[in-house]
Amino acid sequence: MIRLIGAELFKLRKRTMTRVLLYVLIGIIVVLYFLLLAISNVNLPNVGQHMENIPNLLGLPLALPFALYILSSFGSVLVIILLASVIGSEYNWRTIRTAVVSSESRFKLLTAKLISVTILVLIGMLIGLAAGFIMSLITTAIGGYKFDFSFATGSYLWDQFVQFWRTFYILMPYAVLGFLFAIVGRSAMPGISLGIGFFFLESIITTFMSLAGGWIARIPEYLLLANVRAISSLTELPQSFGAGMGAMGIKLPGETHAFITIAIYSIAFLSIAFYLFRKRDVTG
Amino acid sequence: MTTQTTIVSDSPAGKGNDVILRTIGLTKRFGSLVAVKNLNLELRRGEVFGFLGPNGAGKSTTVGMILGLIAPAAGKIELFGKKLDGNSWPLLRRVGAIIEEPAFYPYLSGRDNLEALSRAIGGVPKTKIDEVLKRVNLFERAADRYDHYSMGMKQRLGIASTLLRDPELIILDEPTSGLDPAGTKEVRDLIPQLAHESRAVFLCSHLLHEVELVCNRVAIIKQGVILADSTVEKLVTQGQVLQIRVDNPSPAFEILKSLPWIKSIKTEDDYLIVDAPKDSASRVNQVLAEHNIFASELVNRTVSLESVFLQLTGGDSGD
Repeated sequence: MIRLIGAELFKLRKRTMTRVLLYVLIGIIVVLYFLLLAISNVNLPNVGQHMENIPNLLGLPLALPFALYILSSFGSVLVIILLASVIGSEYNWRTIRTAVVSSESRFKLLTAKLISVTILVLIGMLIGLAAGFIMSLITTAIGGYKFDFSFATGSYLWDQFVQFWRTFYILMPYAVLGFLFAIVGRSAMPGISLGIGFFFLESIITTFMSLAGGWIARIPEYLLLANVRAISSLTELPQSFGAGMGAMGIKLPGETHAFITIAIYSIAFLSIAFYLFRKRDVTG
Repeated sequence: MTTQTTIVSDSPAGKGNDVILRTIGLTKRFGSLVAVKNLNLELRRGEVFGFLGPNGAGKSTTVGMILGLIAPAAGKIELFGKKLDGNSWPLLRRVGAIIEEPAFYPYLSGRDNLEALSRAIGGVPKTKIDEVLKRVNLFERAADRYDHYSMGMKQRLGIASTLLRDPELIILDEPTSGLDPAGTKEVRDLIPQLAHESRAVFLCSHLLHEVELVCNRVAIIKQGVILADSTVEKLVTQGQVLQIRVDNPSPAFEILKSLPWIKSIKTEDDYLIVDAPKDSASRVNQVLAEHNIFASELVNRTVSLESVFLQLTGGDSGD
């Protein structure tokens, strides 16, 4: 297993797409910070509470929570692309047969792919956090805000540590769904398109269901989005931003409910993916 | 169970103990289509075995089943004397294969592709990559990206990848596809060498002349059924005929036709083509001479493997 993970990491490390996805993540963080800095310097009429919170977002205490928020929202799309392409491209390049024949078992091959992507995602998240912190330093300097690190207490760092793993946890279900679609469709494209498509489509469907009221409005509690947002909302962002993720009137379930629901979805998607991959003939 | 119809059979079953690959009653169905039907094959150490058949005959399906990529519907496969099941990595680790065409990661160099493969397989010495790259004459271009390789280079990298794990069984599916004549000869020369290194080579190829040159034994498959499984020599001599030229062919035709040991006779241009038992040329000559008919030409006309193949498969082209 270790050698299979080594082989997968070697391939991922050498692949341009891996680096491009990381650059995109860093780019998003940089752009968002500069955008917020620009907006915070403009006096717009009737901007409400959101605008008042922008200088806070740019400040150092919120650098890590804000970076994690960016990771949880934009990161999902990037992780879907990465995970779906890791297995889907094997079909596209017809290397799947060589990969299977060169692996101890199909189960181990798929597990090695998941573990190697997990390692890269965690590294990417750390780099994203670092980028967010550096951008916060830059915007603090440019905006003339105060450099004060007194917020970095043990409790603060523990909270960020926990939120880091929560963010990773909520990246999983959509990524695994993309992974499943790539295996079902035997190509990266179904994985990426359906994975991302579901990510956005679910948001629309969930909003409509919430607007419908009655028992229909309760269905989203058992879908992915509301549960993902329930975990996201645990971040220590200003209320207007934290709630902004669920600002479409979706009733967010409790933390435990959300954790269990996400786990059930992730395990179900993974089980189907593993079952299909082990069961089906590898042809063409 | 469907009975396998073997027109020509000289399979080495029971002839040696060092059987590397054995399939017993191997069958695969895709829905209602029976892709491989009750396939019995044996491959021994040191053999170069040609596996021939037209498009869709079941060659790649057979290879897929041997490599554990395709699940058989019935029958069993034994590799190195042990039954292949879901946990056969120690057996499959000893098999190197190019399946249909070499497929590698396009963004990696030739060397990096072999590096990735050697990491996955495990236990490959560091020096092995350079060794196999040199062996297939790809060492100088090893740093180039795979997608910049010519078809011939891709094929050679495929062969290098099979050698990486120092296999005891090498499965090559169309190994000379896309190669120029020099490259084809190079690979053709390499194949018997591989077998001599106490390995066995299982070669699928549509280049029948090439198979004839390098294989000890061949099996011809059509619609999932083995039509022939024999040594190349026996297959081509089995189709051997006598070609006789006489001044007056009509009486000679009638005389030979009346002989009970002549299987068939026909005229072709100015020749009589006689299907007679092997080494019967002198007897035929004697009979004709007894009737004062003297042959100006009497030769054994051997048939090529291609002719045998076309005859058995009903004229379908190989793939």
